Amino acid sequence: MSMIRTENICKNFGDLKVLKNVNLTVEQGEVVVIIGPSGAGKSTFLRSLNTLEKITSGKIYIEDELFYHRENDTTVNKMEKEKFSSMLLEMGMVFQQFNLFPHLTVLENVMLAPVNVRKREKEEAEKTARELLEKVGLSDKADVYPSRLSGGQQQRVAIARALAMEPKVMLFDEPTSALDPELVGEVLNVMKDLANQGMTMLCVTHEMGFAREVADKVIFMADGQILEEGKPEEVFGNPKSPQAQQFLRSVL
Amino acid sequence: MLNRIILWMPQLLKGARTTIIITLISVSIGLVLAVFLALGKMSKHKIFSAPCSAYIFFFRGTPLLMQIYFIYFGLPQLNPALTIQSAFVAALIAYVLNTAAYLAENIRAGIQSIDKGQFEASKALGLTYGQTMRLVIIPQTVRRLIPPVGNEFIMVLKDVSLVAIIGLTDLTKVTRAISSSSATALVYIPAMILYLIITAFFTFIFNKLENKYSVYQ
Repeated sequence: MSMIRTENICKNFGDLKVLKNVNLTVEQGEVVVIIGPSGAGKSTFLRSLNTLEKITSGKIYIEDELFYHRENDTTVNKMEKEKFSSMLLEMGMVFQQFNLFPHLTVLENVMLAPVNVRKREKEEAEKTARELLEKVGLSDKADVYPSRLSGGQQQRVAIARALAMEPKVMLFDEPTSALDPELVGEVLNVMKDLANQGMTMLCVTHEMGFAREVADKVIFMADGQILEEGKPEEVFGNPKSPQAQQFLRSVL
Repeated sequence: MLNRIILWMPQLLKGARTTIIITLISVSIGLVLAVFLALGKMSKHKIFSAPCSAYIFFFRGTPLLMQIYFIYFGLPQLNPALTIQSAFVAALIAYVLNTAAYLAENIRAGIQSIDKGQFEASKALGLTYGQTMRLVIIPQTVRRLIPPVGNEFIMVLKDVSLVAIIGLTDLTKVTRAISSSSATALVYIPAMILYLIITAFFTFIFNKLENKYSVYQ
């Protein structure tokens, strides 16, 4: 069973075609890394999966069921409302800018959605939240506000916050791009642990080392299209398209 | 001079009490109304946004003096059922409705100053629009709102001097009465000092609130 499958995703911003017929399948337990030059539509594609971005046309399937289908900027078919909402919760998202809630402590950030959306008991949510903070190595920061943390620590809290909703798949939108170089490693380590535990992951990143080491499948996107798709050694070792060859030369 | 100030003081303080009471009640109720007006004006649905925009346009676009007059004298002529017996209640209604329009614009600016990443993170976590506003956006707006609300508070405090036109006795009215009965304009000195003391006190309170809500920054 595939976790996510997209069919002919297109996205236009006015005359600009940002995504052109993107077809991608993410299997259960698979770690898929999307690379490519900026402006390739990587983030737009990722954000369209959990409806932060409204696509122009295309179909998205979650666990082989039609999640939604749009044509000409209008939704033509969609999962029944309650199921749609619960499917949305199966996708955890981590943002480039962390987007932690600054008025809540680290612990409150992690507990907010489980308590208010999943309707968990406070004690139970707190217990889970503390376990997750332990997992990302921040159990001693539970009661501080995000502004007191480094970027790397904030991003690890953001990962814990997304995991607290017990998603089936995690979407990472350039999770280390806003970090100082010395802080990138700690976030990637948390992501590696997650991958090793079998989490289905879809990551947009510029960390080629991470892609090589952790990815089951690497996607190369340019100009709103998928130009390469394969195992890391195939995409990195033997890229077929001139765009990918040029991109990899410039980043490796 | 000091003797006379001591003589005037009880009356002045009584006027000041009316001024403070009207200000406090108007801004408190006005704030609640303003939250709904601001959310309404930002709504995607015309049925909510159009009336809220019209309301704000009207109350910011006409003189407060006329609004007070109209609520007290005009409404009963429009329909006797709209008669407001108490001048005090009529004044309160006018100030609440007026200040809500200004506060709504402050609140809207506050909400729109919140980073859109906060909305996106909330959505990705499955929070509804109502939950996002209540748990994420409004609490962050509160601290940013304290300075403009404090500003509006002080404006209302001084605008309350307009209530004299419907026969209420606030600090300004008392001062004018004393001035004409005792044939001296010097009573304005202690009156203005009283205004400054009240303003200083509330400025202090608003600063305290601002510090309290700054813990996370």
